Amino acid sequence: MDGTSVLRSGAASSAQALPGLRARRRFWRGGLQGSEYTWAIAFVVPYIAIFIVFVIYPIVYGFWLGSKPSLYPELFDDPVYKMTVVNTLLFVGFGVNVRNAIALLLSGFFMRKGWWVKGLLMIFVLPWAVPMLPTFISLHWMFDGDYGLLNNLLWSVFHINGAHWLDTRWLALGSAIVSFIWKWMPFWTIILLAGRMAIPTDIYEAAKVDGATGVKSFFHITVPMLANLYLMITLISTIWTLGDFNTIYFVTGGGPAMSTYVLANLGIRDAFDLADPRLGVAAVLTALPVLIPLTVILMRKLKHAEVQL
Amino acid sequence: MKRLTRRSVLRGSLGVIAAGTIARPYIANAAAKTATVWWTQGFVPEEDAAFRKMVADYEKASGNKIDYSIIPFAPLRQKTISALTSGVVPDVIESSATQILAEEAWDDKFIDVGDVVETQKSKFLPNALLAAHCYNRAVKGRRYYGVPINCAIVPFHYWKSLVEKAGYKVSDVPKTFTKFLDFFKPMQTKLRPKGYRHLYSYGWEVSTVGDDPTNTFHAWLFAYGGQGLVTEDGKLHANDPKVREAAIKALEYFSSVFKEGYVPPGVVNWNDADDNNAFHAKQVVIDFDGTLSTEVALFHNKAEYDDIVTRGIGLNDEGKPITSQFAINSGMLPKGAKNVALAKEFLKYIIEPKVNNDWNKGGLGRWFPPMEEIVKNDPWWTDPKLDPHRPIYIQTGVYGPTQPFWFAYNPAYAQVMAEHTWNVAWADIVSNGMKPSAAVDKALKRIEAIFAKYPIAAA
Amino acid sequence: MSAVTAGTAPSRSLSTRMRRAARRRNMLVNAGAAVLGVVIIVWSLLPIYDMVMVSLEGHDDVFSSRIFPADPSASTYWQVITQGYWYLNFFWYQYWRSILLGVAVTGLTLLIGSLASFAIGRMRIRFGWVVTNSALLTYVIPSAFLAIPYYRIMQDYGLMNNLWSVIWALVTFATPYAIFIFQNYGASVPIELDEAARIDGASPFQIYWRIYLPLMVPALVAVGTFALLLAWNDYLFQFLLLSSKRSMTVPVALSQFLNSDEAPWNLMMATAIIYALPPVAIYYMFRRHMTAGLTMGGVKG
Repeated sequence: MDGTSVLRSGAASSAQALPGLRARRRFWRGGLQGSEYTWAIAFVVPYIAIFIVFVIYPIVYGFWLGSKPSLYPELFDDPVYKMTVVNTLLFVGFGVNVRNAIALLLSGFFMRKGWWVKGLLMIFVLPWAVPMLPTFISLHWMFDGDYGLLNNLLWSVFHINGAHWLDTRWLALGSAIVSFIWKWMPFWTIILLAGRMAIPTDIYEAAKVDGATGVKSFFHITVPMLANLYLMITLISTIWTLGDFNTIYFVTGGGPAMSTYVLANLGIRDAFDLADPRLGVAAVLTALPVLIPLTVILMRKLKHAEVQL
Repeated sequence: MKRLTRRSVLRGSLGVIAAGTIARPYIANAAAKTATVWWTQGFVPEEDAAFRKMVADYEKASGNKIDYSIIPFAPLRQKTISALTSGVVPDVIESSATQILAEEAWDDKFIDVGDVVETQKSKFLPNALLAAHCYNRAVKGRRYYGVPINCAIVPFHYWKSLVEKAGYKVSDVPKTFTKFLDFFKPMQTKLRPKGYRHLYSYGWEVSTVGDDPTNTFHAWLFAYGGQGLVTEDGKLHANDPKVREAAIKALEYFSSVFKEGYVPPGVVNWNDADDNNAFHAKQVVIDFDGTLSTEVALFHNKAEYDDIVTRGIGLNDEGKPITSQFAINSGMLPKGAKNVALAKEFLKYIIEPKVNNDWNKGGLGRWFPPMEEIVKNDPWWTDPKLDPHRPIYIQTGVYGPTQPFWFAYNPAYAQVMAEHTWNVAWADIVSNGMKPSAAVDKALKRIEAIFAKYPIAAA
Repeated sequence: MSAVTAGTAPSRSLSTRMRRAARRRNMLVNAGAAVLGVVIIVWSLLPIYDMVMVSLEGHDDVFSSRIFPADPSASTYWQVITQGYWYLNFFWYQYWRSILLGVAVTGLTLLIGSLASFAIGRMRIRFGWVVTNSALLTYVIPSAFLAIPYYRIMQDYGLMNNLWSVIWALVTFATPYAIFIFQNYGASVPIELDEAARIDGASPFQIYWRIYLPLMVPALVAVGTFALLLAWNDYLFQFLLLSSKRSMTVPVALSQFLNSDEAPWNLMMATAIIYALPPVAIYYMFRRHMTAGLTMGGVKG
């Protein structure tokens, strides 16, 4: 048995079942009669009920709030709107992708055996476990140029005068991105860790026999096996992050001079400080040109993933 | 209990076994004699206790029931907007996000409470009435959409001990504006060698978070003669050269103290709480902040409480009193309220002078009553032997020249405050190197554009 | 890699050299791992250390230039656990409600999510993909902006000031994600296992319970932690939908600290740290389920 064939059969384990697929379809779907069909329906009904009761109405209402065309010229007139769009792209683009890339690598590290790796994983999940509000407030102080722990530490240990992290636009946006990554990296690392665990160990073992270890096995086994999951979580977390206002709200306060606002912050400000929820919803709906393609890709991916089984 | 059944059905349909301990029966307001009230949480526990006592007294006197929720300021603002937008509302809302009254009155979201105001109309401070008299574009006119229940102005606060440690005397603090400010300027140089390594003279807020930065800018604008930007009729006077000059002067002031390092560099991103924290930590000598919250936070720490000096806005450089910004808290009845009669009765009760006085005193005087008669007849408010801060607060707020926040004249100004137009102009000067005159012109242009969206018909 | 290939040649000295090289490489890898470990510790703990430091300090020491608390005192923790501050009068009651909320959201999300993804992904119910795709709609409008309609529907359903309103709202947001992850993860679990069981006469529920769930454990732990922490980190829905002091949860109590101009941050941080303990403890209990990879062979072979 040569290495490549092992790798191929490993990576293609999902596609390998093609001849059986038709038979299985007949078996399960066509054959979903009687009690089996009832079971299947009973299994999906709870979710469908939630969807009908708690999703459809709010979504329709949300779109209705932002449906008046005259809201959009008003929104684009806002002097900070353009800057906000740029910030949103940077915040979401860097925040999500840097975080996910590091999470992918770290999930490999946490596959290592040994008690200390497990202990480390416990410490690593802490940022995710501490409640968001106080954490971001504490980060806001930590980055303070005069009194913050970060600069105090830089001075005490290296005798460096740290920057005023929150006082200029790019440093402040960077600090917010770092805070965002800090808070949410553990979660995605754990999701990717679970994904790695789903890769049957025998594939790695077979590959090892054929001399594929380290970097090579990463690119030939891990990457193809995790590609689908990775793409999916990147898309979904991009969609989520487009709506995140807490990071900016608490870490930079949108400052200096609202130069670090993202769309969600602008929306929250318009909805609640301006008492104009329609304008607020309109602000986040202007992310739809980005959101819709992402959603479509994700939908196709999900459908594909289902057939791929 | 219809609602309970509906909920049970819902739960059943989701096919889930509910843990009984989590579900609490929803008590419908079936009895007509109960009003639901949302009230802002105080900054000190005494404020909430005073409110609870007032409610208990009312319930005893009237036999009615007040079903109240005391909610922190920021969540209450979001809750109020959600309620008014979705139409599911309580009977009374009292929010210290004072813009909401003007903003939502504009959109016809409140019930006219003129009849409640009428019961004490002759006694109210004129500006308290003015601040509650808001424009509704649906009826094309002004009505009372809020019942003023207490008031506040924005004073200065400084540490007596720091002034003295720097080698000055409180009795020497000048009365006119520029001299007053300059008096404090050298203190950081004097105090830093004495162990206050990170101390700054001033704690002025210039960020774009919360209301403090705008209030601060306005105080300077008024001191330099720019209080005519918006007039009672809701009109903007962006072309008034006096306003423009004053705005330039104010922005020049704030950029120079920032550039020279007399305020902490972090003020560009401070939130409403940060200046208070810095002040209480004795990292700044003087601060400018609304209400007496700075003082009452230390009410139980007598030595510190007495060490703070409260000071009104004072005199301008020509020696004339400067106009103070004046805010009210008000009781509002959202459209769709179910128990309007009872809600109005409750608000009438709150503005009965004796009730109002007891309640505001219970809140340690962080807010003062909306009627001169009350403070005139009760030395608790005015006797300097009883308290070092309240007499100055009353002197400035009740007897000094004041002017309601501009959003009461025109809700457009609430948007100006939310957009922090003036603080953005400040940043244009400091970070983008813009000339103060250019920054002011840019700001005025933006303010004009905002006002254009809120046309107010002439009376 | 080349060393491994060369290993087929039976040369004694070569294999010794190889072993030495392997040991050296091993040491290098271990040293690298140790360095990475230190970086992870510093990165993860620095902001948390800041919180702990604030919680151990006096009220005004936030504005200091120290890196260690000058005069550490655990009195803030004592004040929190004895409910000694007015924001925290109902702390333990609220804590209990937060735990109920977390447990209910986690349980319902795992149950509803795994059932749906079993029916869609394993039983291949017709039009299952419509369900998965439309579930995405949940995320199109950010949850912060769904607050207003949520506020309204909870009133219509009679769930205001009732913990169930928050539970359902959060389950609604967690479940679509749970379904995606389960389906994605389930794709690597061979369907032959189900078929074999089916031929042996197992009912769909038995397959779900005996075969599907046990094989899904790492995904269940990951998604369960996600749902728990979604409930633990949320405060918007909690303060919007719960308002009386008695119906509050800890995040709502925490948001009170943002209320005033002048908050005791040390108490806030102490509260936050006490609040963070249950998720850590729960994760600790389940961590071993995260560290065992799937071993399958029997059916495939």
